[in-house]
Amino acid sequence: MIKSVWVIDDDEIYQMIIKKLIGRSQAFDEEHYYKCVLDVFKDLESPDFQLPDVIFLDINMPQMDGWQFIERLRELCPDLSAKCNIYIVSSSIAYSDKERAKKYPEISNFLSKPVSVEVITEIAEAVNKKTRCRDQA
Amino acid sequence: MSPTSSRKPKLVGLLAAIFFFALGFFMLWQRYQILLETRDREMTGIINVVEKNIDQSLKYSYSAALSLALQIDRDGKIKDFERIASELVDENPNIDAVQMVPAGVISQVYPYEENKDVIGYNILKDPTRNQEAYIAIDSRKMFFAGPLELRQGGLAIVGRLPVFIENEFWGFSAVLIKFKNLIDQSGVEQLATDKYRFQFSKIDPVGGKEEFFLGDSKNLDKSYSEEILMPDGDWRIYIIPTEPHQPLNAVIPVAFLILLMSAALGWIIYNTMKQPAILAAKVRKQAGELAKSELQFRAIFNQAAIGMARVDSNSGLILETNKKFQQLLGYSNSELVYMEHTNISYSEDKDENIQLMNKLRNTEIREYNLKKRLVRKDGEIIWIKLNVSALWSEGEKATSHIALVEDISARVKAQKERAENERRFRSLVENSSEVILIIDSNGFTRYSSPSLERITGYKELLVAENEIFSLIHPADSSILIEKFKECRDNPGVAFPGIKMRLQTKCVKYIWVEATITNLTLDKSIGGYVVNFRDITGKQEAELNLVRSYDFVMEQNKRLLNFAYIVSHNLRSHSSNLESILELYGIEECEKERKNYISLLHNVSRNLDESLHDLNEVVSINNNLDINVETLQVSDYLEKTLEVLQLQIKRKNVRIKSQVPQDMKIIFNASYLESILLNFLTNAIRYSHPDRDPEISVKGYMQNSSWVLEISDNGIGIDLKKHGDKVFGLYKTFTDRKDSRGVGLFITKNQINAMGGKVAVESEPGIGSTFKVLFK
Repeated sequence: MIKSVWVIDDDEIYQMIIKKLIGRSQAFDEEHYYKCVLDVFKDLESPDFQLPDVIFLDINMPQMDGWQFIERLRELCPDLSAKCNIYIVSSSIAYSDKERAKKYPEISNFLSKPVSVEVITEIAEAVNKKTRCRDQA
Repeated sequence: MSPTSSRKPKLVGLLAAIFFFALGFFMLWQRYQILLETRDREMTGIINVVEKNIDQSLKYSYSAALSLALQIDRDGKIKDFERIASELVDENPNIDAVQMVPAGVISQVYPYEENKDVIGYNILKDPTRNQEAYIAIDSRKMFFAGPLELRQGGLAIVGRLPVFIENEFWGFSAVLIKFKNLIDQSGVEQLATDKYRFQFSKIDPVGGKEEFFLGDSKNLDKSYSEEILMPDGDWRIYIIPTEPHQPLNAVIPVAFLILLMSAALGWIIYNTMKQPAILAAKVRKQAGELAKSELQFRAIFNQAAIGMARVDSNSGLILETNKKFQQLLGYSNSELVYMEHTNISYSEDKDENIQLMNKLRNTEIREYNLKKRLVRKDGEIIWIKLNVSALWSEGEKATSHIALVEDISARVKAQKERAENERRFRSLVENSSEVILIIDSNGFTRYSSPSLERITGYKELLVAENEIFSLIHPADSSILIEKFKECRDNPGVAFPGIKMRLQTKCVKYIWVEATITNLTLDKSIGGYVVNFRDITGKQEAELNLVRSYDFVMEQNKRLLNFAYIVSHNLRSHSSNLESILELYGIEECEKERKNYISLLHNVSRNLDESLHDLNEVVSINNNLDINVETLQVSDYLEKTLEVLQLQIKRKNVRIKSQVPQDMKIIFNASYLESILLNFLTNAIRYSHPDRDPEISVKGYMQNSSWVLEISDNGIGIDLKKHGDKVFGLYKTFTDRKDSRGVGLFITKNQINAMGGKVAVESEPGIGSTFKVLFK
């Protein structure tokens, strides 16, 4: 089965890094990188568009932050938490951000940068397990 | 009242009444007798006249009968009867008829016609009449028979003269007088008047019974009558008073009068005699009461709770004292009696008392009151209330007076203490820095402590005229009105902590903290008690404190925000560095490794840029001694527009500037330049692609502070979405590559650092308005 991932982050350098890491982990079949959040919503308008299994989401972005993104996406896809596992990947180590993340059921975990290949592999496995359970059920 | 004294007047009265009654009746009796006698005498007189008149008539009759008898000759023959008879009857009005009655038989009569029926009637043979005829024969005298009913009719008397020839009875010569005629002749009718009546009676020769001929009073009451007997006819003539009891009737009212008068006299005497007895009883009663009241007075005098002394008004010597008086002064009664009253008087108070006593003695006044001091036997001075009243009656000479003495030392002491307290409290109130007002329910100031003038400069404040409200800062007056209302509805409850600004006489506002208590029900206050004190210093300190607190909090917030930014931005670079180095470590391909090195260059450049931004922010916030000066905004605006000239031309921007020349602010020059440049650059950069940019710059005063307003018709910002992030660091709202999210953050920090504020109004697609509120 095909596993897809989105990376949403405005940091160009980070984007390059995470692309290498995901590539090395070989955990995902399909990758998509968004530097600008608003592009996600542009793509969502096309009819054959599908949500990925995993989203790596930054918090601090211009135009729209990570929280606003989740809220907006929730409005468009009501079954968001069932279909998609959102991981916050932020350079923030602020306690308030971690607390806030717990209030969103869509968020599976809060990861502080930098992330390693192992972490990405673990996430992919966890998502696999979850999907299997859901399919069996 | 004793029994003897009451019986005596009664007896005397009764006796007097009886005596007067008896005397009166005796006199009345005499009078009555005189009345009776007078009447008898009158009756006798009248009846004598009647008798004379009748006698006269009879005498005429006798001479007529005799004249007639002389016509009879020796042989018993009657000569010339007709002639003589007519002469006699016609000439003599007393005679109605004449008859010749030989041997008792009526043979001739004149006037014949009227009397012819009796011819031939033998009177001697008539038993009803012959008796009187025989009387005449026997007595050989003329005898009048009747009155009798005539055969020829009518009532008459008949006078018969027996005629004898040679001692031989011949017959009668008779004269007939009508009874009515006889009565007329007697004059009875004229004499009788209405006072008397007459009666004519004769004893019936046959029955021996008295027969009456006049009127209807057959049953004659002879008790008051007079009578005469006429022997020629055996008649009786009575005179009878028509009202036999008239004299008695005349005296009866008098008798009643006497009865009444004597009763009245008896009553008067009784009462007159009784008066002294009543008076005596009264005197006894009053004497008893006097004794009782004297006793009561004694008891009051001795037992009274206030000191009493009787003092000789002339000599000023004390005559007697009661127990309380002795207790008050510590002397015994015997010590006090005959002591001069001035001896116990406090020397300073003596004169006034003596003057008043002189007035009393001279009867100018009847009593007086005085507060004075007395000296006890042990030397202690006591305050007393003295009341002196004269004991002699008005108009009399002065004898003695009574002095009532009440110990008021405690009261005087309390009063002094009260006055002292009052003075102390007053001085406390008056010297206090707290203002105290008493305002009555009409809003007038009843009392204001001197501190009012000290603090506010006003001598008094009127609530009624809304004066007080005009002095309160407009923002605070509603609170005061509210509190006054609450206070009005909750009498007795103090409403403290009312903070407000009050305008003083020198037009400056001061902060006061007031407490209002509604004491309108408290009679000694009768109003609202308002006390307030100047807390301007305190209030300003407090406000400064609040401001400092706000400032610190704001700083803290900014610091937190800054720390967040710093950590976030620096960490993003450090995490990138870490990741790149990690990847570099495991990369085998030399080309890729070179690639990572160039990436490291980028990261380091970004890091440097971030540090530069942060440094700028830190320098704005930390530069406390930054140079400020008075700047004319319009000058700086002009300069900025000059700098932007090229862009303005390129984009065809219309600038509308309405910044007044007098808009001068205290600000840092380079900050102002930066701010103007930033706003204007933004307004030009984020212009709407469908229209030419229009920018309006306005300067105006609001709440005595300058405001700079910069409006554009650009693309706008969705404030619902981004409201709190507009001025955030690294926040951009467009997808333009040249937006770094630093400009507004720096601008806001610069404004804040100068004590100003910035606000934004915007609508996407229409435009934005930024307002800078200068300090």
